[in-house]
Amino acid sequence: MMKRVIVLLAVCAMLIVGSAGAQSGEPIKIGAIFDLSGATGDVGTPYADGVIAYVTALNESGGINGRPIELISADYAYSVETAEQLYAQFVAEGVVVFMGWGTGDTLALVSRIAEDEIPFISASYSASLNDPNGTAPYNFLIATTYGDQLEIMMMHMLDQWEADGNSASDMRIAIFHNDSPFGTDPIEQGETFASGAGVGGVLAIPMPRGATDFTAELQQADDFGVTHIIVQNVSSPAALLAQNVFDFFGGTGMVHFGCLNWCADELFVNRAGAAAEGALGAIPFTPTTVEVEGQEGPREFLEARGQTLEEASLHFSQGWAAMDVMAEAIRRTLDAGLDLTGPNIRATLETFEDYETGGLLAPVSFSAEDHRGNRALKIYQVENGVWVESSDLIDLRAME
Amino acid sequence: MATQSGIYHETYGSDMQLRPTTMQRVRLALVAALLVVIPFVVDSSTQRLVNTVVIASIGAIGLNVLVGFTGQISLGQGAFLAIGAYACGLLQVYFAVPWPIALLAAAFISALLGGLIGLPSLRLKGLYLAVATLAAQQIVEWVIINWDPIDGEINGRATDALRIPGNALFGNADLRLNNNDTLFYVVAAAILVVVAMATTNLFRTHIGRAFVAIRDQDIAAEVMGVNLYRYKVLAFMVSSFIVGIAGGLLALQSTAISFERFTLSVSIEYLAMIIIGGLGTVSGSIYGAAFIVVLPELLRSVGRALAGTDPASLSEFNRVLPFVQEGVFGVVIVVTLIIEPEGIQRIWRTIKDYFRLWPFSY
Repeated sequence: MMKRVIVLLAVCAMLIVGSAGAQSGEPIKIGAIFDLSGATGDVGTPYADGVIAYVTALNESGGINGRPIELISADYAYSVETAEQLYAQFVAEGVVVFMGWGTGDTLALVSRIAEDEIPFISASYSASLNDPNGTAPYNFLIATTYGDQLEIMMMHMLDQWEADGNSASDMRIAIFHNDSPFGTDPIEQGETFASGAGVGGVLAIPMPRGATDFTAELQQADDFGVTHIIVQNVSSPAALLAQNVFDFFGGTGMVHFGCLNWCADELFVNRAGAAAEGALGAIPFTPTTVEVEGQEGPREFLEARGQTLEEASLHFSQGWAAMDVMAEAIRRTLDAGLDLTGPNIRATLETFEDYETGGLLAPVSFSAEDHRGNRALKIYQVENGVWVESSDLIDLRAME
Repeated sequence: MATQSGIYHETYGSDMQLRPTTMQRVRLALVAALLVVIPFVVDSSTQRLVNTVVIASIGAIGLNVLVGFTGQISLGQGAFLAIGAYACGLLQVYFAVPWPIALLAAAFISALLGGLIGLPSLRLKGLYLAVATLAAQQIVEWVIINWDPIDGEINGRATDALRIPGNALFGNADLRLNNNDTLFYVVAAAILVVVAMATTNLFRTHIGRAFVAIRDQDIAAEVMGVNLYRYKVLAFMVSSFIVGIAGGLLALQSTAISFERFTLSVSIEYLAMIIIGGLGTVSGSIYGAAFIVVLPELLRSVGRALAGTDPASLSEFNRVLPFVQEGVFGVVIVVTLIIEPEGIQRIWRTIKDYFRLWPFSY
């Protein structure tokens, strides 16, 4: 009996030593909340996969400076309360940085994030989160804010409209939006831009959650005399809206249709089918149908597992890019010989100048005064069921 | 007050005691000791979970006053919570009212609006009243989403989420609630104790007995002289007052609130709390709230322990967990109700009876 116990202990000891040898150094704990089963689960799942894949790939290549990443994550089902609970739990477990998700929950956490000094990159690009010297000193937005996305989309649509011989005053834009802090976020900036540009009118129309038909909302838009529809929602409801638009106005091209970040993706095209043809997308992240160098990493990772980036969707690369920016900040902090503390990582992020993700998104720069990674994106358009480039990089920061 | 056989009272004072037996007092002392000890023994995330249980308990007691004690079914719990939360938040945002005053004012505002929502209750009963309160839920949700003045501003931009300021009391940053879970617990637990005692005592007064009479047989109650209209609206007001406090606490606990916290699913969750805990009992409300809040966390913790920290297996686990959670949740609720339709409170009473009567079966 004693012999068996000794052998068992020896085996356990060998296993512990063996596993310790695989990756040296103390793990770096990173917290994350994902929406896999909630209202935004359709796009939240590939985003989560992208974040997790980046961490897995990083660990397989030896981690950051020999230290593995320990990703502590959970599905919060788009519930603000659960997000707050999980955030508190993960911070108590010692995470140094945090990858978040939605607008409502990130806004609800802002003050805690500041108190806990946890650098936080969420998938919300609400400009409300850009307040480095005020309420949100630890929040960073890696991509174009929703307001900037809407402004660039309107700018592009207006150029096309005028190029076709129309006047701005005849342009009437309906913004169909998710009825939440996420959905309403860009409206004010869009209205300001439109009134400055002499656009005939802007009408914000909420999209009820769980709706199976938007004909009533489209009737409202038709009464308004809509010429352009821009959607700020996730892919599934946006695809349904596109189909309703197709039916209501009798085919594509009768009104100009555009999607912002979270609905301009492969899922939208697949679900909307023919109704997606000609739709524009204000997409800060390069679609999988457009080759860029930065897609090599996620593509190799997926192909090694028998999957493709096209199936995984651009939100996979989006999660990958978000995690890449945070991992780079950790790497630079360690390289500078600094301790991995929130303030140090935040200071490192604020030194980012045109950080390249291989074209996954426009170069990322942060400063102590501005936590918006960039204000630039390309407009894409659906042609024969794939997203193709419709414009060069439109950079609002460069236009200022 | 019903007590066990063998207990005799010789004075009115002892007859009116809430806890007449020694065992009851020992248990009460243990609960009090537990309440005091919690902040010293739990970590910060558990503390936050406890705080959520405390808020949910207050809200569930409020709902139980209406549904369990007065028999008026409500699907408008989310609306009442929202009214409390927004009243408390807006008073702080626009008038810089100190949080204790804002919380109290929120309770009164909720009571007032709750009374208004309760007006149709004289003509409507059962399912019809449930649908009327559902309408209230939808209206309040619509107002939150569409009425700009209550949205507030963040960085000078309008936003759908109402940002709650630092909640400092008399300029003292240490007396902030939204990032001080221990202080929040002290405040919320004290309120829970007061609410639980007040509600328990309410049902020893003529008002509470009128509520129960309406629940059991409203026509008989009317024949006995109970003014149905007055007491039904009063039940709505009392319930909304308590739920308003829970809503206000929700606002104080967080730094931003939006309609996403007060949807219909919240109303249904609260109904589940009081059904599982035990309709018509104060302690049942607390058991039910604890059960509904803690079970998903427990499932998640167990799942995480099983999945380990490897990102790939964590990814698989994350994908499966929501479905497992929903399934287990449903199964546990169904099993609980099959074993004891009167809820956890009744199970607890049966256990107590078993030990009290042991070794005899009755």
